[in-house]
Amino acid sequence: MQHHLRCLAALLGAAILVTACGGEEKGGDKEASKSFADLDAFPSTYAIEQSKPVIIRNATVLTGTGERLDNTDLVLEKGRIAKIGEKLRAPRNALEIDAKGKWVTPGLVDVHSHLGNYPAPSIESSQDGNEMTSPNTAEVWTEHSVWTQDPQFELALAGGVTTLQILPGSANLFGGRSVTLKNVPGRSVQDMKFPGAPYGMKMACGENPKRVYGGKGTAPSTRMGNVAGYRSAWLEASRYKDKWEKYWEKGGEAPDRNLQLETLAGVLNGEILVHNHCYRGEEMAIMMDIAEEFDFQITAFHHAVEAYKVADLLAEQGVCSAMWADWWGFKHEAFDMTEANIAIVDQAGACAMIHSDSAIGIQHLNEEVAKAMTAGQRAGFDITPEYAVTWMTLNPARALGVADETGSIEKGKMADVVLWSGNPFSVYSKAEKVFIDGELMFDREDPARQSHSDFELGILNPEGERS
Amino acid sequence: MKTLNKLIFPALALLAGAVIPNAMAETLLIKGGRVHTLSEAGTLDTADVLVRDGRVEQVAPSIAVKADREIDASGKIVTPGVIAPVSELGLVEIGAASSTNDYAVTGDSIGASFDPLPAYNPKSTLIPFNRAGGVTRALVFPDIKMWGEGVGDPQRVFAGRSFAIALNGQFDSVVATDLAQKAFTGEAGGLLAGGSRANAIAKVRNALEEAKEYRDNREAIRRGQWRELNHSVEDLEALQPVLEGKQPLLLTANRASDIIAVLDLARQFQLQLVIQGAAEGWMVADRIAAAKVPVIVDAINNLPTAFETLGARLDNAALLNKAGGKVLISGPGYASTHNVYLARQSAGNAVAAGLPYEEALKAISTNVAEVFRIGGGSIAPGRVADLVVWSGDPLEVTSYAEAVVINGEPQSLVNRSTRLRDRYLKPEAGHEFGFKR
Repeated sequence: MQHHLRCLAALLGAAILVTACGGEEKGGDKEASKSFADLDAFPSTYAIEQSKPVIIRNATVLTGTGERLDNTDLVLEKGRIAKIGEKLRAPRNALEIDAKGKWVTPGLVDVHSHLGNYPAPSIESSQDGNEMTSPNTAEVWTEHSVWTQDPQFELALAGGVTTLQILPGSANLFGGRSVTLKNVPGRSVQDMKFPGAPYGMKMACGENPKRVYGGKGTAPSTRMGNVAGYRSAWLEASRYKDKWEKYWEKGGEAPDRNLQLETLAGVLNGEILVHNHCYRGEEMAIMMDIAEEFDFQITAFHHAVEAYKVADLLAEQGVCSAMWADWWGFKHEAFDMTEANIAIVDQAGACAMIHSDSAIGIQHLNEEVAKAMTAGQRAGFDITPEYAVTWMTLNPARALGVADETGSIEKGKMADVVLWSGNPFSVYSKAEKVFIDGELMFDREDPARQSHSDFELGILNPEGERS
Repeated sequence: MKTLNKLIFPALALLAGAVIPNAMAETLLIKGGRVHTLSEAGTLDTADVLVRDGRVEQVAPSIAVKADREIDASGKIVTPGVIAPVSELGLVEIGAASSTNDYAVTGDSIGASFDPLPAYNPKSTLIPFNRAGGVTRALVFPDIKMWGEGVGDPQRVFAGRSFAIALNGQFDSVVATDLAQKAFTGEAGGLLAGGSRANAIAKVRNALEEAKEYRDNREAIRRGQWRELNHSVEDLEALQPVLEGKQPLLLTANRASDIIAVLDLARQFQLQLVIQGAAEGWMVADRIAAAKVPVIVDAINNLPTAFETLGARLDNAALLNKAGGKVLISGPGYASTHNVYLARQSAGNAVAAGLPYEEALKAISTNVAEVFRIGGGSIAPGRVADLVVWSGDPLEVTSYAEAVVINGEPQSLVNRSTRLRDRYLKPEAGHEFGFKR
């Protein structure tokens, strides 16, 4: 199918990383690694293991690859999707689930979240999402801001979200590195880090950087100032990259490490994926030309309210768009919203997906996609639930460079699976059970399988949990 | 576009952008829909609704009248139009563009007497967009200033007066003025009152006491022969209907203990209290119900975003209703005006969390009309004919309004979202692009 090929650039970026940059090297040993991503500095200690096999019987399965399978059984074993078919035999000691009348989707993937770095409760001392001290803070890593006890993680899990990208905020031209997490409780952020996921880097167009820094009397104060800021930084990063590559090739004295330039150079060599906050069509076109000028790939535009205006360019350049269903009007660059945005972008052959940027929206990605699907149908497109489900599963997984591991129900992939009480595109349906790597991490029927962060203990009631 | 137009009678084609004169519609017949009257008649599986001169005349299984216009609603759902209990419709265009915002004033000069009515713009782009989402009426309230210059300046705990609009976009679309008063208690009130929520309550109490003093000594105070008061004559005048219990006072309160504090205040001053927020309302649902105080909830917000909302949960509306409380559901907090129609989605989520279905429909229409005493909110003889024909269950995110009737007049469903969609659906290169209507 055509949409399988979308986001190819992002996927390739990830593939290069996972195979070539998987990280045998010792932390910080730049001289040997020939990598700018610095993968070993804060390595994933993710350790969810499936305690027993699972068989889900007679479900309606939306595979995330465009198919709908009725009366289908799934076997989850050793953390992977082991079997998909009819009348499968249960493995020994399996958790057996009768899913007649219920639906199954891949675990949902949110490509744009601030859980942990803008946590709840939202008090001044925990606003750690944006290092608003310089227009270029490519050196910061958002994982160092994530409060793992944010109670919003488990709310997102109850909405079926198994993988999410935490991004720095949008006040800066270069906001810093993002991190991709599996939505499991962790004492450290490393416990949540998606094994093997590439890093992303946040960039921002438009109103926010020019307002924040222009307001302080420093550059940028205009959109052209924004662009000069990007280009200057890429020039410097190109020189840094050349220096290191020359050193790797010819030896000699090792150049000094620079955390900011390291992240930018990681983008230039394809290790780090660019996630670019960008509302307006003409700004997206400019950003794609900048990418061309400095020979890197933009993986996805986020908050791409006007992506529908440049859908053909996005398709041509292989750039994904992460969009809301209907948010608009909170600022001028969000004024030209159409509810058909996701559908128009998708149908132009570009890679389209939902994103939340919201701790409420992340709990209802299925409803947000339902609205976008309906708007697409009203625009005259033939968009089925089995197709639209890719907007919250496989497509965001591609934009995160983890599509070979999660985002669809395919044999051998991580067993990240949601069992819904009914059609997930109904407001009345709920995620009943959520499996991550085959392990039952949320069960609406079983309070023992509903996690609560430390914050929630004894907070409203000394003997209970919050709510 | 096919689906948009196919079931609407041909005359509606004329509606794109045009204003239909009132004289055109004398009678309108909406035929064959499943009708949720939200009145004593309950829900009729298949019924006709006859509208005459802007009011519902008859609802019956079959009405044999040759109407001036007809809408075929067979296979569709008919409900009263959605009514937003709080919004800033007509007072805001772009959130972060302060020149387009008129819903708040900073400075210490005005409080309860602030009336945003002269700023109301019926040509706002938000109105046709939310009308297409099925909203036919809305309360418009002043609020705290959130953006732009002066945002850090002191603001009074009293935000001011409200009015109600019909979403037909016409210059005479204000349907009621001076409907209710709004003030902030709880965390927001504490911020406005110098740092403590206790002082917000004290300030509301002081204003009401001075309003009494003013009522009893009007002439002397106006002549200047009285002690100095904390409030202007204008503010104290504005509070008279609140004091008389004739006008609702909307107070924000989320924490259970804040809710109890405002219930106490209401009892003491015999106020017609409406609570906005009530995130922890379920914890004191019995007291709210016993006091017969309606609550406006953001039903989809289950986040412990503040320490005053630690108890936020999705079944708040269901539990309040179960205890016998009257629940009104607002647009979601993150888009409470631009997307106020999403109160439908919030109501759907409330149903998923246990709120009975018809109660959810009432929470976005009937209850709002009753609490603020405006038209609409039910389909019964004599009621204002604000009706929506839906493609399916209006609380489902896959349903949409196929016809919206306000004061008996079918409305255009075209808005900037559909205009931009249609322009870019089949993009054409060259100059035709920008010229495409």
